[in-house]
Amino acid sequence: MTIMQSTAGHRARFKAGMLVALVGVPAVLAAYLTAAGLLRLLPADMWWQSLGATDFADPRQLLYRHAFLPRLAISLLAGAALGLTGTLLQQLLRNPLAEPTTIGTNAGATVALTIATLYAPWMLEQGREWVALAGGALSTLAVLALARGRSFSPVAIIISGLVVSLTCSSASALLMAANREYSEELFIWQSGSLIQNGDAVVLGFAPWLAMAGIAAFLLLRPLRLLDLSDEGAESLGTKPVVTRLAGMTVAVALSSMVVAAVGVISFVALAAPALVRLAGARTLRQRMIWAPLAGAMLLWLTDRLVQVLPFTSEIPAGVATAFLGAPLLFLLLPKLRTSPDRDGTMLASVRRRSGWAYLLLGLVAMALLLCAALVVGRGATGWHVASAAELADLQPLRAPRIVVAVCAGMMLGVVGTLMQRMTGNPMAAPEVLGISGGASLGILLLFVATSDVNRPAMIAAGLVGALVSLAMVSPAGRQQPLAPDRLLLSGVAVATMASAFSAVMLASGDPRLDTLIGWLSGSTYRATAADATIAAVAATALLAIVPLTSRWLEILPLGEAASRGLGLGLFRVRVVLLVLISVPTTIATLVIGPLSFVGLMAPHLARMLGLRRALPQLFASAMLGGMMLVSVDWAGRMLIFPWQIPAGLLAALVGGPYFMVLMWKGRQ
Amino acid sequence: MAPLTRRRCLAGLAATSLGVRGDPAHTAPPPRVACLEWTSAEMVISLGIGPVAVADSKGYRDWVAGPALPAGCLDLGSRGEPNLELLLELKPDLITGAYGYGLDEAPFRRIAPLHTVPFYDGTEAPYRQAENETLKLGSQLGREAEALRLVQETAAAISQIRAQFSGRADQPLAVVSMFDDRHVRVYGKGSLFQDVLDRLSLTNAWTAPTDSWGFSMLGIEELVAIGEARVISLDPIPPHVKIRIDQSSLWANLPCVKAGNVRTIPPVWPFGGLAAATRFATFLARA
Repeated sequence: MTIMQSTAGHRARFKAGMLVALVGVPAVLAAYLTAAGLLRLLPADMWWQSLGATDFADPRQLLYRHAFLPRLAISLLAGAALGLTGTLLQQLLRNPLAEPTTIGTNAGATVALTIATLYAPWMLEQGREWVALAGGALSTLAVLALARGRSFSPVAIIISGLVVSLTCSSASALLMAANREYSEELFIWQSGSLIQNGDAVVLGFAPWLAMAGIAAFLLLRPLRLLDLSDEGAESLGTKPVVTRLAGMTVAVALSSMVVAAVGVISFVALAAPALVRLAGARTLRQRMIWAPLAGAMLLWLTDRLVQVLPFTSEIPAGVATAFLGAPLLFLLLPKLRTSPDRDGTMLASVRRRSGWAYLLLGLVAMALLLCAALVVGRGATGWHVASAAELADLQPLRAPRIVVAVCAGMMLGVVGTLMQRMTGNPMAAPEVLGISGGASLGILLLFVATSDVNRPAMIAAGLVGALVSLAMVSPAGRQQPLAPDRLLLSGVAVATMASAFSAVMLASGDPRLDTLIGWLSGSTYRATAADATIAAVAATALLAIVPLTSRWLEILPLGEAASRGLGLGLFRVRVVLLVLISVPTTIATLVIGPLSFVGLMAPHLARMLGLRRALPQLFASAMLGGMMLVSVDWAGRMLIFPWQIPAGLLAALVGGPYFMVLMWKGRQ
Repeated sequence: MAPLTRRRCLAGLAATSLGVRGDPAHTAPPPRVACLEWTSAEMVISLGIGPVAVADSKGYRDWVAGPALPAGCLDLGSRGEPNLELLLELKPDLITGAYGYGLDEAPFRRIAPLHTVPFYDGTEAPYRQAENETLKLGSQLGREAEALRLVQETAAAISQIRAQFSGRADQPLAVVSMFDDRHVRVYGKGSLFQDVLDRLSLTNAWTAPTDSWGFSMLGIEELVAIGEARVISLDPIPPHVKIRIDQSSLWANLPCVKAGNVRTIPPVWPFGGLAAATRFATFLARA
């Protein structure tokens, strides 16, 4: 008995030691860097004295009091807030990937601030907090409303969050692209810089954090009961729905405040709770204490590190956390226990149709659409249907865009179907795999490395980036033979890194960014005849090969055990599917930018039409994807002529709400 | 590009004094020019030609401001994606763009000859390059005399302003753009503004390295480094940013702000040509 107690005591001490190390090591490093930085600013004997009675005539003391200390304070406070938010959300949603980005809060707050900055700057005169809170709350409410029909089941929330986020972020990207020179402020702010210009932000933020912390600890017991099944929790006298709503309110308020104060700081909310859990904090109470501490230390250290890095312009902390956090996630992946919540009934179950008649109809619709997109257009004098003679001139301009759009859409539709069937995860999409993220990372690096950016160089850089990210993703996923959830996690890491990097590029103010913005938002503007040829060949090849995998795709969604039982060589199957996923995704990304919505939506739409068997779903997704991109590309060229809305943005802007309506209708 | 030789100068002066107005080249309708971005648009307008279309013409009015766009100038869409179908319909005689936008040139060349201004490519100082590019564009458009005159008038205007400054004590100044309340973009080596300051014999208070476009993005607190130097802030600053800057305790206590040395000047396109140089020098003299 005593022996058992003492081993348990050892284990507890060991765990506590890990946690202390997790928080302590970054803290010591950060403290060292802080002290070193401060010594360069102000002699040590003045630190204390200057705190109370600052002599503003001395620029050193001015910097100390109104830049150094507020920045130190906000890094700790924001880090703690993110650690707490992440812990709450992961508990609420029973999902280790949950953070303010996943549930749509960040995107909602961002789009609200974007709209206010560009069109109603007077709203920001009283501060950004309320605008951010309104936006974050609205988008989260939308997410919850969509998930309500399924009692806020984790998967439903994650999918709704993804859809709402994509819609919101395309809306803000679109607004910024249309107001390029006015968006500088937004670019800077979005990238999450902790630079302070006084103590106003800290003083405004601290009470919110305190209130949220108190509320979170008051909610501790009902939150803990969420570990049980919803029925179990109810039998113990709590209402899981009420708990989730209350917890969400706290998390949303807190993350909106972080967004308002310093912009989007990625990965801290994800990494801090994951790290403390790995370090041995098992109970919710432990995690709620240690995760904010870990978050604070991580952000503090990151913010000190970006200040000692030798760059002309300082990298914003929000971007740096993504760079530091993504590799961290790769390291963690093998250890992280993922519990996939396969929610096959997520979407409305419609009467199953064999669907071949539908496919014929789809083919006719697609042909008509392609002709219309080629012939109908706008000019200086208004709407115009091109004559045969005019088409000879217009065709070199329009045809590559249309071909690229339809082929990329078809490939993304197929790839989305493959991924969703392979992973059994309805939120799987090409972007989630990180291939498009890797390709954009490659092209962004090209922009940094050289001033001469041309199309072949962009293609080469994108291809290298895509392949590198594929190589990075694969080993991480292979620890347990290419397990689907790990693959998704690795993909998320790459995608986040890429988006963080694009944020820092956008904030750099380089005048060449227009090209980059166009590409990142999925524009077909730069499509050449060569691009069209590549895309057409790739799409044809994909459609020819993919029917051969239909048996695998019928079996894989049944789960690993069933697949093995039915004699599927899982490793071989997954490798083949990975190739079939990554190559078309790379090509689609190269020609049309890192679009993701089409790959997510087309398979769902096909399923909603009742095409649930693998082969009809594949072809239907291909057609739907192609038609979606062609329509939005055409609409994007017409709506605000002579300006153009990138196809990818419009796809998300139109497709997102449509998808939400479908989810809403199908919730019973 | 050949440097300004004596022969070219004489030819230009002769052309100017002999009254180019009677030149048959000018009785012909002016070339129809479409501009894909603002730097070349500024140059084209400075040479006395109203472009038929300019990309993001609203942005030009806000951020470049002068020389003014002619009435009836069409919008070509964004600078990142100028509308090719509209260009095709307009059938311009010449399309102008600038180096570094990463646009594929082939589609434009299929529509009309394309003249690109290789700005900030690091081969020359921006002001010198602006002079050479203006002359090149002038010969492309058949406006050699105007181009030469523009070069000379700009130099003359700057040296005149330099004379105005010569009486005053040389107080260093920093040129900044403010986009939010925590950061400034400060212009230094490799920027057009630096070249103009040099020609005015003024000292740029910002001497730290800059990126290839001649500016650095900094936290506002780094302006402590310039002490009580004058700060020239370029419009437009969004109104809410202005309010937040005024509320900032750090900004209010910066030595340059405390000393009352911050001046706002009307918009000048930092990546512009000779017209931007003149505008900058003129506003500086008034600030």
